[in-house]
Amino acid sequence: MTPLAGGVALNLALGCSVLSIISLLAYNRIGDYRLFLAGQRLGLAISFFVFISTFVLGYQLFVSNFDIDYVARYTSFETPNIFKISALWAGQSGSLLFWLFILSIFNTITIIQNQDRHLNLMPWVIITMSVIQLFFLILTNFITNPFEPTQADFVIQNGNGLNPLLQNITMAIHPPTLYLGYVGFSVPFAFAFSALVNKDIGALWIRSIRRWTLVSWLFLSVGIILGGWWAYQELGWGGYWAWDPVENASFMPWLTATAFLHSIIVQEKKDMLRVWNMVLIILTFSLCIFGTFLTRSGVMSSVHSFTESSLGPVFLSFVFIILTSSFGLMFVRMPVLKSPRKIESVSSRESGFLFNNLIFVVMCFAVFWGTLFPVITEAVNGSKISVGPPFFNQINIPIGLALLALTGIGPMLAWRGTSNNKLIQNFALPIILGLVTAFILIYFKLSAYTIISFSLCVFVVVAISSEFIKGVRVRKNKFNEIIFVSLFKMIEKNRSRYGGYIVHIGIVLMFVGFTGHAFDKEKEFGIEVGGIEEVGNYKFQLTRMFEEERPNHYAWITDLRVTDLAGNFITNLRPEKRVYFHKNPDINKRQPHSELDIYSTINKDIYSIFSSVSSDNNIAFVKIMINPLVKWVWIGGYILAFGTIIALWPRKD
Amino acid sequence: MNNKIFTLIAGTLSVILFWIGWVSLNPSDKKAMARFISVENLLNNKISSRTKLGGIVKNGSIQISQSNQLDCFFVLKEGSAELSVNYSKTRPDLFKDGAEVIVTGEYRDGIFVADELQTKCASRYEGDLREETNYKLEELDT
Repeated sequence: MTPLAGGVALNLALGCSVLSIISLLAYNRIGDYRLFLAGQRLGLAISFFVFISTFVLGYQLFVSNFDIDYVARYTSFETPNIFKISALWAGQSGSLLFWLFILSIFNTITIIQNQDRHLNLMPWVIITMSVIQLFFLILTNFITNPFEPTQADFVIQNGNGLNPLLQNITMAIHPPTLYLGYVGFSVPFAFAFSALVNKDIGALWIRSIRRWTLVSWLFLSVGIILGGWWAYQELGWGGYWAWDPVENASFMPWLTATAFLHSIIVQEKKDMLRVWNMVLIILTFSLCIFGTFLTRSGVMSSVHSFTESSLGPVFLSFVFIILTSSFGLMFVRMPVLKSPRKIESVSSRESGFLFNNLIFVVMCFAVFWGTLFPVITEAVNGSKISVGPPFFNQINIPIGLALLALTGIGPMLAWRGTSNNKLIQNFALPIILGLVTAFILIYFKLSAYTIISFSLCVFVVVAISSEFIKGVRVRKNKFNEIIFVSLFKMIEKNRSRYGGYIVHIGIVLMFVGFTGHAFDKEKEFGIEVGGIEEVGNYKFQLTRMFEEERPNHYAWITDLRVTDLAGNFITNLRPEKRVYFHKNPDINKRQPHSELDIYSTINKDIYSIFSSVSSDNNIAFVKIMINPLVKWVWIGGYILAFGTIIALWPRKD
Repeated sequence: MNNKIFTLIAGTLSVILFWIGWVSLNPSDKKAMARFISVENLLNNKISSRTKLGGIVKNGSIQISQSNQLDCFFVLKEGSAELSVNYSKTRPDLFKDGAEVIVTGEYRDGIFVADELQTKCASRYEGDLREETNYKLEELDT
C-alpha cells in the first residue's frame, strides 16, 4: 500500500475511461457485441481502480504518512482515528477523489444492475458516466493530485491537524451525504442523455430512474438538513441557514430535483411533460456540478470556500459542455419529444404538478440570482454588490408560502380535472380550519407572514390527513379491517403516493420551525459570578466559572442556572470556551473554539455561547438566544426521510 | 396546452419575476445589500453607504475594552491601506492577529463601524506547511 499505488491506480482509471468511451462509440458504429462487452468491463475497471486509489489514500491518512502533502495538511498525530478517515473529504484534492469514489460506486451498481436490461440505452449510459468520471480523473490526475508528495526541504514531524470545528460526528457525515445526493443525479442524467441519443423517449426511461432519483433526492435532502444541524450545533450564530453561496449551491439542485420528482409522475402516468422533464434533469445535474464549482472556484467569498484555485475555469467549462451538448441534442430531438397529450383542465392534478414545478424552478432562479448578484452587478455597473440573508428571505418567503399551499392543494386534485362538487367537498374543511387559525392568530396580533404561514400549515395538515382518512375509510368498509391494518395496507399498496404525502407533512413541520424564527430573541452581556440577567421570559444566573485541561484542549467553563421569571428551575447550561493546540509554543497557532450549550424542547431552544472571559475581574461574556420551534425543523427532517424511505421501499411483486 | 393554463402560468411567472426584480432594486432591509469595495477606495472617497471590506487584521492591533469585552477595535489592512474598525458583538473564534476577515458596516468619522464580521474558515489550511503547525509532541509534553 505505497502511495505510489494510489497514483498509478488513478492513471490506470484514466486510461480505462478513455478506452471505455472509445470502444462503446465504436460499438455504436460497428455493432459488434464484443465491443459493447469490452466497454462495459472497462467501465467497471475505471471504478475498480478508483476504489483502489481511494483506499490507498484512506490508509495513508490512517497511518499518518506525512510524506504525502494532503496527509500532512489535514491530519496530525493527535487527530482521532475517525477524523483521520473523514479527512479524506476535508481538503480539495481528497474531496474530488471522494466525489469520484462515490460516482464509481453508483456506476458499478448501474452497470451490474442493467447487465440484461435496457440494452439499447446502456451503451450511451456508460459513455455518459465514463465521461463524467473522465472529467474528475483529469482533475485528480493532472490538476490537483491527492498523492502529491510533500514539497519540503525539511522533515515534517507532525501534520497540521483537522480544524476542531470539523471534529464533530455530524461534520464527518454531512459532506458524504451531500455528495451521495449530488453524485447520484449523474445516473438519471446519464439515462436521460442516452434516451435522447436513442430517441427512446417515452415513459420507460423515466420508470427506470425513478428510484435513483428518489435515493439521490433523499441523500441531498438529508445532507442539507445535517449541514444546517451542524451549523446550529457548532458555529454559534444561533441559526441553521444563512443563504451562503455554498448552501445555495446545494439548495438549487434540490429545488430542481424536487420539481423533477413531481413531474416524472406526470410523464409516468400520462406521458406528458417530456421536454420539461429533460430540462429539469439536465438543470439538476448541471447545478450539481455548478455547486461543486462554486465551492471550489473562490468566485464567491464564503465560509465554506476552499482557497482560490485554478479549478474554477475547468469546472465552468465542464458545466458549459454539459449544458450545450444536452440542450443542443434536446433541440435536435424536439420533434420526437413533443408529447401527444395535453393538459385538459386547470383543476387537474397535472396542472397542479405543473404549477409546483413552475414555482420550484422560479425559486431556484431567485436563489441563483441572489447568489450571483455580486457577479451580475459587477458586470452591469462595475460595482460588486453582495446580498445578505434579508434579501433572500424577502424574496423567498412569499414564494415558499405559495409552495407550502401547493403541498396541500396538489394531493386533493384529481387527474384530468376535478369537478366543482369535488373541489368544494375536498377543500371546504381545510380552508375553514385554516381560516379559523388565521383569525385566532390575528387576535394575538402576529405579523402577516407568520399568520399566513401557520394557517397554511393547518390547511395542509388537514388536507393531507383527510386524504389518509378517506383512503382508510374506503378500505375499512370494503375489507372490514381494523383502522391500523387498513392504514398499513393502504400505504403498502400505494407506497409512492402515501410516502409522498408523509414527506409533505415533514415539509409542513419544517415550515412551522422556519416560522418560529420570527420570534427569536437574543442578548449579549457581561456577567460576574452570582450575577443575574434576564432574556425573554427567562433569568440566567452565573453560578460558577472554572478552568480545566483536557487531552487535546484547554477549557474555560461557565455554569449558568436558568429559571423562569418566577424563579422555577429549568436547566443548567454549561457553554465552554476552548483552546485547541494549546501546547503549541506559537500563540498564533493556538485555536480558540466556543463550545455551545443548548437546552432544547419542543417549543423553544435556549442557546448559550461563552464568548470571552475577563480574568482580571472574573466577568464572563455570554450570548443567549431564545429560538422558538427550532426542533420542529429537525423533526420535520426525520419525517421527510421516513416518508421518502416508504416511497422507496421495493414492492414484493 | 390549454389557453387558461397558459395564461395562468405566464401570469404567475411574470408576477414572481417582477417581484424578484422589485426586491433587487428596493430591498426592504437596508442591511440586505452591501457594496464590496477596497479599503483604499473607501478611504479616498469617504464612502458612507453600507459596504463590505476584506482584508487582514493587522498584527497587534486588536484592542478589547476591559470593561466590556464585546467592544473591540482593530486595524484592517488591505495592501498598504489601513482602516480602524469597531465591532461590538460576539467575535468569531478564528478572529485573531493576521486573520483574513470580511467586515460589513458603515464608515463614520474615520472609523468603520461593522455589524458583521466573518473570518475565513480555516478548515482548509492551504498555506505553506512550514508556516503552519510543525512541532514534535514529545518535546512539548516534557
